[in-house]
Amino acid sequence: MKNTMIALISFMSIILFVGCAQKQMYYFGDYSKTLYCVSKDNNAEAHTNHQQQLEQIISESKTNNLPVPPGIYAELGYINLRYGKSKEAIKLFQMETALYPESKPFMDRLINKAEVKQQPIVNDTSELISSKTSATEKQGGAKN
Amino acid sequence: MKTKIFFVLWLTVMLPMFGCGPKMVTKSTEFPLMYEERPVTILILPPMNETTAADAKEYYSTTIQEPLAFSGYYTLPYPITSDILRMEGIYDAELLTDMPLSKFKEYFGADAVLFTIIKQWDLSYMVLASTLTVSIDCQLKSTDTDRTIWEYNGTVVVDLSGGSTGGGLLGLVVKAIATAVSSALADYVPYARQANYRALSSIPYGKYHVQHNKDQNVQIVDQTPQETKKN
Repeated sequence: MKNTMIALISFMSIILFVGCAQKQMYYFGDYSKTLYCVSKDNNAEAHTNHQQQLEQIISESKTNNLPVPPGIYAELGYINLRYGKSKEAIKLFQMETALYPESKPFMDRLINKAEVKQQPIVNDTSELISSKTSATEKQGGAKN
Repeated sequence: MKTKIFFVLWLTVMLPMFGCGPKMVTKSTEFPLMYEERPVTILILPPMNETTAADAKEYYSTTIQEPLAFSGYYTLPYPITSDILRMEGIYDAELLTDMPLSKFKEYFGADAVLFTIIKQWDLSYMVLASTLTVSIDCQLKSTDTDRTIWEYNGTVVVDLSGGSTGGGLLGLVVKAIATAVSSALADYVPYARQANYRALSSIPYGKYHVQHNKDQNVQIVDQTPQETKKN
């Protein structure tokens, strides 16, 4: 009898703890950290780090069989668009829509933008140039 | 013997509930409009900062997407949307209070927009401890009806010195993070994220969450955004 009681109590407490554990839905890595650096420092290094973080989130999600989190494809697409890589950008925007159909209105808008303006859409060109050079440097080394 | 077992069982179930002091309400009684409107796509607006901490805005806005996504919503990518809003001259959600929200449906396809106010971002230094208090008010408004469909406050008090917090489980977790970074350059990203998680804890789960439309009876702490009391 005592044994059943102990078993019951431990069972209950386990249930309580299990209830607290969150099942992982997405992999976000250090997303908020690298994004914070982008908005705080806004330099080439921060931009490259964040871009690599986005790429890592995509690959890590795939290996773990998780859906890529909302907005990640789109953000990477937007970065490509800033660098003037419209084709890649459009492809990524389409991937976002395929995964999250409700993003379609906004993605279509961005795709239009990419098709019409086959050029960078950043106002501040100096910032663009600096982040662009570092991105190409990094890409040469890391080859993604 | 049997009654004894039942008593023990009852205790195990009830004890955690006794621990919660504040008044509890269910999600569906508190936010019926959420279940009525069922937004999927959420546009996060640039926060309004009522504090003197200039950094607070960045900390907040870079950590809000994650908890919203984990709550099951499709969050429009904030770095893009904020960029576009900035190009339109909108740095601050304050500029949008009189604007019809249907514009956001039209342009971004958003079902709802998230307004946030950073109420508190206070670092206080004491002899033995320094603490950080982060307090965030959230308000979700429908782009179809302009109604407020959800609002909540999240407040986190973090002990940066790694001393005792007495914040329950959360306090322990925060403490663990705090000790790791306390001496090094202060990194507030985890705390900002924590405050955001706290603020979003009451939001009914969205489409991508397994609990979607099954959480009507989940108990949450009853609060109104203007009232902040915590640990």
